[in-house]
Amino acid sequence: MKQLLSVCLLFAMSPAIAPMSAEPQNKDEVAKMTLKVGDKAPDFTLLSDEWKTVKLSDYHGKKNVFLAVYVLAFTGG
Amino acid sequence: MDSPAANAAFAKQINIKFPLLSDMNRKMLTAYGILKNYDTHGDTYQWALRANIVVDKDGIIRHIEGGDSAVDPNTAVSICTDLHKKQTAK
Repeated sequence: MKQLLSVCLLFAMSPAIAPMSAEPQNKDEVAKMTLKVGDKAPDFTLLSDEWKTVKLSDYHGKKNVFLAVYVLAFTGG
Repeated sequence: MDSPAANAAFAKQINIKFPLLSDMNRKMLTAYGILKNYDTHGDTYQWALRANIVVDKDGIIRHIEGGDSAVDPNTAVSICTDLHKKQTAK
């Protein structure tokens, strides 16, 4: 498993400013997803949990990348 | 959005071995079209969709799913596994 998934980048988000007592209205769940299979993945630069800069393009020619975007992740905000 | 510090505490807690990234300014989420607006109580809040995306070594998207189906990572894992097999068979 470890060798198959060359690298997995996990995005953790939490709605720090959202009112937790209210259920959000969900109007267009996937309507904004415009990227599709075969498209070039937009490059990005983000900070890791070790405060290191991680660029998607750093993995080009080296590893496949599994991006997992988590909402209301496990960090508690 | 969680800060790198919050992510670091979580990564240590569950012994994560891969980068845990923070998209504090929502640039990546916007670029990938997975940031959506939720209207509630007269205000609009921005949350991300749950999403799984597989990008190959050439930077090409090989799998992308968002919403409820992305809660289960098995499809993305399977595609990633097949991709790896094809690459190593060359």
